[in-house]
Amino acid sequence: MKIAYYPGCAAHGLSKDVDIATRKVAEVLGVELVEVPDWNCCGGGFYDEYNEVGHVALNLRNLSQVEKMGLQKMVTPCSVCLHSHRLATYKYKEDKDIKKKVEKRLEGTSVKYDGKADAEHIVWVLIRDVGLENIKKHVKKPLTGLRVGTYYGCQMLRPEQIMGFEKAYSPTSLSELVAVTGATPVPFPTMTSCCGFPLIGSNPKGALKLAFNVLNGAKQSGADLVIHPCSLCHLQLDSLQLKVKAEFNVNWTMPAIYVTQLLGLSFGFSPEEIGIGKLAIEVLRSKGVI
Amino acid sequence: MAQSQEEEVILKVKRFNPERGFWWAEYKLKVDKFTQFTEALRRIKSEQDPTLSYRASCHMAVCGSCGMKINGEPRLACKTLVLDVAKKYNNNVIIIEPMDYFKPIKDLIVDWDEFYERMFKVKPRLYQAKEVLEGKAEHRLKPEDQRELWKFAQCIWCGLCVSACPAVVIDQQFLGPAAHAKGYRFLADPRDTITEERMKILIDSSWRCTYCYQCFNVCPRDIEPVTAIKKTRSFTKLYKDKSEVAEIGERHIEAIHESISKTGKLQEAEVYVKAYGVLQSLIDLVYMSGAGKLKYMLVQSKPVQNIKEIKKILGGE
Repeated sequence: MKIAYYPGCAAHGLSKDVDIATRKVAEVLGVELVEVPDWNCCGGGFYDEYNEVGHVALNLRNLSQVEKMGLQKMVTPCSVCLHSHRLATYKYKEDKDIKKKVEKRLEGTSVKYDGKADAEHIVWVLIRDVGLENIKKHVKKPLTGLRVGTYYGCQMLRPEQIMGFEKAYSPTSLSELVAVTGATPVPFPTMTSCCGFPLIGSNPKGALKLAFNVLNGAKQSGADLVIHPCSLCHLQLDSLQLKVKAEFNVNWTMPAIYVTQLLGLSFGFSPEEIGIGKLAIEVLRSKGVI
Repeated sequence: MAQSQEEEVILKVKRFNPERGFWWAEYKLKVDKFTQFTEALRRIKSEQDPTLSYRASCHMAVCGSCGMKINGEPRLACKTLVLDVAKKYNNNVIIIEPMDYFKPIKDLIVDWDEFYERMFKVKPRLYQAKEVLEGKAEHRLKPEDQRELWKFAQCIWCGLCVSACPAVVIDQQFLGPAAHAKGYRFLADPRDTITEERMKILIDSSWRCTYCYQCFNVCPRDIEPVTAIKKTRSFTKLYKDKSEVAEIGERHIEAIHESISKTGKLQEAEVYVKAYGVLQSLIDLVYMSGAGKLKYMLVQSKPVQNIKEIKKILGGE
C-alpha cells in the first residue's frame, strides 16, 4: 500500500520520535510512506488567524503535490496538520469568497489542486486500511499488564463534520489499537479534552493547566502512561511534562508517548529504536514491559 | 400516509434539585423517526412524571432554550431526533444530562445569569453614528461586509459552546465563544462607532482561546465562534494598549509568519526564542532535557526549495 506521507514540521523537529516510530511501524505493516516532495508548513493551527487566504493556499500546495504524485490520500501523524489541511479544503470547497481569493493568490504558481486529494490521520489508515487483524499479526511482544490511557485530544476529532472518522464524543480508535498490542486500554474523562498546546503561544499558565487536567485525568483512572495521536500534543504532554509537574507540584509523572511508539514496542522494537523518552522508559521498566 | 414505525427507547435523565442533589431517572417511551427530544420530554412530563423539569420554547432551533447533553454531546433538544441518536450510538438507551459548566437549578434547567453577563459585556448592539440616529444620514452595508457578518449574527444564545469550552473553565478572563461570536459581529461592522472600545473588550480575551474546536463542533447554527476569535486576533496589530497575553500571542504568530516566509517550514527553536525570549526558552530547555528530549532540540526541517512560491502564496513578492 503506497500512501503520500506528510510528516509536518514538529515531526521533523522536536517531535522527531513521532516520525521515527511512524515510519518503522508503517514499514513492518507493509505501508509504503512516500514523503510529499518539497512540502511546506501547514500553518501549525495558527496561521489562518494571521493570513486566512495564505493558510488555505499553503495547504493546497501540499495536496497539489500529492495529486502530482498520482495519489489521493496524504497521511500525517500530526492531528494539527490533519486539521489544518482538512479545514483548508473544507473552506476552499464551501466558501466561494475564499476560493476566489485563493485562486487569485495561486495564479502563476505550480499549485493545481483538483479537489481529489485530502489529508488523513495515520490512526485512520491503520484501523481502516491496514486493519486490526493485520496489525495483530505483527505483535511479537504483547504488552500484557500495561494500562494505557487513550488520549485523543481535539483536532483529530473536531469538527466532527470535517474530520468524520469517528464520533467526537465517544471515540474508540485508540482503544482498539491499544487492545491489539495486548495492553489494557484506559479511557478517561479528559481523553477528548484539550492538551493546551495552542495556548502555549499566548497564555502559558492556562496551557499548563489544561495539560495537567489531561494527565491527572489519566492518572486518576489508573493509567500507567498515555498514548496520543499528535506531534504537538507530544510537545505539550511529553517534552514539557516536567514543567507541568513543577507547576502543579505533584510527585508523579504520566508519560505520554505517540500511538505508533506503543505499536512499535509490541512489534519488538526497543524503546531506543523508536525514540521513546526517558519518563516512559522508567514506567515501562517498572511494569516489566522492557 | 403510512404511519411511521415506532421504536421503544429508554431515556436516562440526570436529575437535580438543591435538597436531594443529583440522581438518575429512567423513562421508557415509544417514538417514531420524527420525534424530537423536546417532544419526548414533553410526553414524559405530561404522561409519566410531572416533576421532570426542562426548558423548551420554540421547538425549531431559534430560541436557544433547550440546550442539554445528549449521550455526552451538547445539543439543542429540539433540533435532535431521538432515533437519530439511537442509530448513531447503536443503542436505544440514551443519556440526557444538563449542560456542563452552568450551575444546575432543577433537573435539566441551568442558571444562565453568568452567561448573559458575558454576552452583555461585549455590548451586543450596533452603536451607530449620531447623524444616522438623528436621521440625517444613511449608513449602508456593502454586500461583502454583510457576508462577513452574517454567520456571526446567527447566534441564538443557547450556551452550548460555553458548556463545551475548556478555556472558560480555567480562565475567568476569557469571555467565551458565544460572546466572541457576538462581539466580532459588531467589531467587524463598518457602521459601528465604538471600535476602539470593542478592541479593549475583546482582544485580550481572544488570546485566551485554546482552539480546541469544541464550539465549532457543537454550535447548532454553524456559527464557528472559534473563527470569530481568530478574526478578532487580527485586530491586535491595530490596538495599542495590549495586555501581556496579547503581546506574547502577537509575537508568537509574527514569529510563525516569519519562519514560514523565510523557510516554508516552522522552525521551532527560532519561533520559541522569538516568542518567549532567551531566558524562558532556556528554562524550558532544562525541562525538556530532564524528559530526555534534548537530542531533538536542534533537529530542523529542510527548508522548502521553491521558497519563491511560498512567498507568493503568502501574498508577498
